[in-house]
Formats: sequence, structure tokens, C-alpha cells
Amino acid sequence: MSFSPLFERLVEAFRILPGVGPKSAQRMALHLLERDRAGGERIVAALGEALARIGYCQRCRNLTEHDLCALCEDPRRDERMLCVVESPADLLAIEEAGGYRGRYFVLHGHLSPLDGIGPEELGLERLEAEVAGHDYEEVVLATNPTVEGEASAHYISEQLRPYEVRCTRLAYGVPLGGELEYVDGGTLSRAFSGRLPFTS
Amino acid sequence: MALQPAFLLHRRPYRETSALVDLLTFEHGLVRGVARGVARPGSRSRGALQPFTPLHVAWRGERELKTLTLIESTRAGVMLAGEGLLCALYANELLYRCLPREFAVEALFAHYGALLEVLPTPGLRAPGLRRLEITLLEALDAEPLFLSIDGDRPLEPQLRYGYDASARRFRPIADGHQGVDGRTLRLLAHGDWEAPGLAGAAKWLLREALAPLLGARPLRSRALLQSLVERRRAMPAD
Repeated sequence: MSFSPLFERLVEAFRILPGVGPKSAQRMALHLLERDRAGGERIVAALGEALARIGYCQRCRNLTEHDLCALCEDPRRDERMLCVVESPADLLAIEEAGGYRGRYFVLHGHLSPLDGIGPEELGLERLEAEVAGHDYEEVVLATNPTVEGEASAHYISEQLRPYEVRCTRLAYGVPLGGELEYVDGGTLSRAFSGRLPFTS
Repeated sequence: MALQPAFLLHRRPYRETSALVDLLTFEHGLVRGVARGVARPGSRSRGALQPFTPLHVAWRGERELKTLTLIESTRAGVMLAGEGLLCALYANELLYRCLPREFAVEALFAHYGALLEVLPTPGLRAPGLRRLEITLLEALDAEPLFLSIDGDRPLEPQLRYGYDASARRFRPIADGHQGVDGRTLRLLAHGDWEAPGLAGAAKWLLREALAPLLGARPLRSRALLQSLVERRRAMPAD
């Protein structure tokens, strides 16, 4: 039943978020209106400011409200390594995993001819300028192990060929703690062909 | 319904955990459907539903958008990488753009499967792609491509022919225009187009013949391949 068109509009607005169905959207709307109007104001302010001010880092295309993102401003990052990822979520996953201290470049997508996404949409000219203008020793092509991620990695490696920088690709493997029986055939055959000498 | 052999041409996210998929199937041609829950972590179809993997699928629904009820990979797909992978994306884009929905061409399915098998070998890529293009054009026109001569007159070896896009037929053209001589066309009509000397002519002719089907929107995958070729050409020799 509908008692307020504005309320309906709020519920509908929440539903665009991932993982939010009609029930959750209704709970969220009721919570803000009934119990936490101040919290609602904070959301409005934070969302408004974020949408107005967050853009792409001029160097790595990561999300930032400044010209350069915090990672690009950080002098402690390893200037010899660059990691190319498809999305800011991938960057966060690599940062959380730890171990990598180099720089990043965010494509915000992958090459997908059928979706009309080509090198221009991914800022590949910017990436080439970044590699040309710095002394990178290695570029890690950490695009997803999908057909489009693979095609993007291939295109970038060809594009960076004149700069004599070592291009590497993330290894394919069996997940830690996984059981071979349940690993899909494609992953297993790639893990097999990419096997490494045993080190104890 | 009985399981259908199929290849995934393209998938795009649909709602939160589903995907909108375009499949090339053996008996029904190009079919669009929704694969429900396929993007859910732990979905059994998640790994199977990849381009270039031979699939068996089943669906329900009579309308244009089907609901996939089963997706299984019959075996691991060919491992495509580099230029071979870009050629495979070209084949997908070509079929997706040019083939009408639910227009079954069994030969096309067979040639597509055979193309994927040869794409890892650089020397076999061009003949494989030409065969797919010819099969597509001949299926759409319901007649052999290189025999489509104006007025059914025999090919004159010394005349030059051009492709008339509006009539989708070869016609004699005046001297000074780019075209192909009748002798070459005769060889191509006999299926000799895999011969090294004719590969260039076959590629040019097919591009001409495909152009009207693609209209003003060029194939993005072809642009990708071309830009890589140009980059390589611009590089100083090692």
C-alpha cells in the first residue's frame, strides 16, 4: 500500500544499491525517517559532496577528490612497479591483500568490442604516457582472468612494447585451501600448465 | 527441450546476479536469454559460461528473450591468447552484428567451432576467418558469394569486377577503379582462396561484401586488431 509518494520514491532510490531488495529498501527508509533523521542528513551531505567532488586521479585514474590520489602522492610507494587493474575494487583488494607496494593504474573497465569499449574509454593513452614518462621496470597486468581481461592485457602489453618494460600477468592457480576435485577444468588446466618448481 | 550445442558470444550483467547472454546455437542460430544467478559466487555455471567454451544449453520461453534452464560446458575451450583471442572477439562481434536472431545456419556453427580450434596457430587464422565470413554471407544471401555475378553471365577472366553493395553482387567495373580481375574471382569461386597469393584479394572482397551489413558502425574488434598492426609497423625493427 502507498501512503506517501515521497516515501515510495525514497524506497525506490535505495533499491538501486547492490544487494538491496524491496524489503531492505523499505527498512532503510523507515529507519532513517523514524529513528535517525540526523544520520539521514549525514548521508545526504556525504553523498552530495562525494558525487560533486570525486573524480579520477590525473595520474592513475583512481577515485579521488584531488588532482592526485593519496597513493600517487605517497613517496614511499615503489616507483619501479606499476599495476594495471580494471576497477577501484580490484585496487582495494590488492591493497588489502598486502605485499604490493608499487603504483597503480585503473582502467575502469576492460576492452569489450561488443559493448563499444575500446582503448580510448580505458584511458590507455594516459597509461602509455605514464609508462613513457617514468622509469618503471615492471608493469603487472592485473586485469581479470576473463576473455575481456585477457584481451585488455594483450593490447596493453603490445602498446607498451616500445618502452622495454617487463610486462607480467597474475598467475592462474588453485585457490588456497581448495580441493582439486571442485576446481573448474579451465582453472585446473591453466594451473597445470603454469606449475612451478617445488621449493621447500 | 533437448540440450543444444552452443557457444557464448557475449554476456552482460543483468540485475544483480544474472547475465544477459547471446548464444550461437547449432539448431536455432543466435539466441538471447537470461542466465539466472550465474554471477552468484559459487554458481556452478559461472565458470562454464565463458566465450569460446563449447556448451550444452537448454532454455524455455517462446519469445525473443529466453530463460536458460541449463548451462554445461562439454569440455574445456581452446586456450586463446594474444592476437588469436582478438580474432575470436572479431568473429563474435561479426556474428552478433550480422546474423539475424534465430536464423539457424548449421555450417556457420561448424565453421565457428573449427575457427576456434585453429586460432592458436597464426598461419591458419586468416583462412579460418575468411571461411566464417563467406559462410555467413552465403547464408544471408542464400547463394554462393563468388557466383553472385550480375545477370548470371560467366566471369570474364580479363574484366575487372567490383562489389556492388546495394545489389550484393559482383559487377564489371570501369578501368582505373579498385577491383578484382575475373580470373582471381574464378579461383576464389572454386574455393582456392586459401592460396597465399589470393589471401589479400579474398580479405579485400569480403570486407567490401560485409560493409553494407555493418552500415556506419565499424567493427570495434577489427579497429583493435588494426591499431595493433599499425603500432607494430611503426616500431623500429629489432
